[in-house]
Amino acid sequence: MSRKTINIPLGAQHISLLEPVRFKFECENEKIVGVDSDVGFVHRGVERACTTKFKFDAVGYVVARICGLCAITHSLAYTVAAENLLGAQVTAKAAYLRTLLLELDRIHSHMLCLSHTCENAGFEAMFMQIMGDRELVMEIQELISGNRVQFDYICIGGVNRDITAELGKKILENLTLVEKKVREYKDEFLNNWSLSLKFRGVGALSLEDAYRFNAIGPLARAAGLQTDVRNEMSYLPYKEIGFVMQMQESGDIHARNMVRLDEIQNSIEMCRNIVNGLPEGEIITKIKGKPQGETIVRYEAPRGELMYYVKGNGSAMLDRVRIKTPTFSSIPAFSEIFLGQEYADAPAILASFDPCLSCTAK
Amino acid sequence: MQKIQSSLEKIREEIEGFYDQKSWHFLTLNGVALSNEKLEVQWIFSKYATPDEVVVYYIEVPYDVEIPSIADIIPSAIISQRELVDMFGIAVEGSTKGLYLDEDSMQTPLKGCQI
Amino acid sequence: MFRKFRKKSPWILHYNAGSCNGCDIEILACISPKYDLERFGVINTGNPKQSDIFLVTGPVTFRSRERLVELYTQMPEPKVVVAVGSCTCTGGVFRDMYNVEDGIDRYIPVDVYVPGCAASPELIIDGVVKALEVLEKKTKAMEKPRKLFSEATTKEGIVDRRECAQKVGEADAKDTE
Repeated sequence: MSRKTINIPLGAQHISLLEPVRFKFECENEKIVGVDSDVGFVHRGVERACTTKFKFDAVGYVVARICGLCAITHSLAYTVAAENLLGAQVTAKAAYLRTLLLELDRIHSHMLCLSHTCENAGFEAMFMQIMGDRELVMEIQELISGNRVQFDYICIGGVNRDITAELGKKILENLTLVEKKVREYKDEFLNNWSLSLKFRGVGALSLEDAYRFNAIGPLARAAGLQTDVRNEMSYLPYKEIGFVMQMQESGDIHARNMVRLDEIQNSIEMCRNIVNGLPEGEIITKIKGKPQGETIVRYEAPRGELMYYVKGNGSAMLDRVRIKTPTFSSIPAFSEIFLGQEYADAPAILASFDPCLSCTAK
Repeated sequence: MQKIQSSLEKIREEIEGFYDQKSWHFLTLNGVALSNEKLEVQWIFSKYATPDEVVVYYIEVPYDVEIPSIADIIPSAIISQRELVDMFGIAVEGSTKGLYLDEDSMQTPLKGCQI
Repeated sequence: MFRKFRKKSPWILHYNAGSCNGCDIEILACISPKYDLERFGVINTGNPKQSDIFLVTGPVTFRSRERLVELYTQMPEPKVVVAVGSCTCTGGVFRDMYNVEDGIDRYIPVDVYVPGCAASPELIIDGVVKALEVLEKKTKAMEKPRKLFSEATTKEGIVDRRECAQKVGEADAKDTE
């Protein structure tokens, strides 16, 4: 008798997914033997609009609309690229404030991902709890930048708003609360049956495969591949504020969750150092000129490495903006992980990747 | 950023000789339209654990040639190759249209839009 | 009985038609404890055939438009569509991009528009509460009995069916009087 396989689709609209993506799983009994993904549902054409519709000083706000979760990373990466082309320097205070908001963004994004993982494990109470605690971080973000999700905080030359002494105190207060909660989550994720044992050994990526498929972000760090762009760049003061790379060995869903929890703790530590050691100075420097030349900027978004290639020609319109988003380059690795897993695990594995399809399709 | 020019025939061998998966990280495949007839295709690599070290291999080709695939050397390149096909309408060995646009779409959004 | 519960416990279907995720996570934040949309009896469901309120985010992209209309037609009457976010209402920053259809009201009728980029949870809650009112109105309109024929008029002793059938919209106009 010949092999019989069944095709089961997941998506395009699915309760466990926030975004439209379609996976077609080829299943043999319960095992997945083939994956076909369709990620282009949210393609809008931002890359073209950046070069034809908007001038270079507005592009920073447009690219933030690629993704609501890592909006700040997108606008930062573009802004740094534009500043490279203009030959400009920002003040130390602006760099610190940028880093502060980036790390806050990472905290809330990781918390969203963890809560989603809980929801997919059927642990609704934990989902609600993490989402509720996430509001503490959202509150700080709103106080700093004026908006909850799309900040528009970073502009070419610096940042748009300063923080006051009372605000600094409020940030520290809220972060202390969050840190306490994160310690509790860590306990839950390590010891609770439905969150720890269930996830061990499921959806694993070996170190060999991580190298082969160029895995990035928490996916790679959970597999033991030492890559973090925060360690590989020099334009933000990560060395001074106590950045430590978080690693795990096993590469399964559990390891990815632990990497995220550790990173939240590290980010809280960094935010505290920033607020306590904020240098004096102006927050914005005036920059004149038009972008000329080409540059590549990489930055670590919550989901992994983000790359911007910007080419200017000396006029207000840019020549080319290439955006390589983290989920986009992880898709081959995702497909590899799904092979050999059970179909029932597919939503949980997918949630543990923390995919961002609006990033992917731009 | 270090740029190395190559040619259509030699690019596959050069990348095969250069790429070592333990030390180099393949970022992406990028296309830049130079004019309505010419396209610059870039293969971008970065080094693990070294600050700001990026190497770019690039070739300049007209639109009617077929770009060789490097998916057997670097499996994760397959998705960027499909994007290149969609965006510029250029042929890449073994890649089909239909990642972002429809399979039968006539659009080539980024071809020659930069003046 | 159903009428009572439909008002008390509307079910939500959420679809992302190409948005940036910002509004989607705000919808999630609405359901979470701080804003707690669930105190209005709202449940987020993934099944179009059981839902009453359709929350749409994003400027409809070329490939998601078919799914959008499909989901809309699968929902049972009465249904209310809420457009969440600036780009869903008008296209926002994405207006005139080559793969974007500039807002959902080109494809399906919208009852409530919620502005903002990203729409804040307070506004989304206001929008959903407004949608509940619309839902109630629609339910009432649906349940009202309708006359299909007016009184028979005769022309030379023969009943003129063409005359006595009401024209489209006439019955509704009479109801409002």
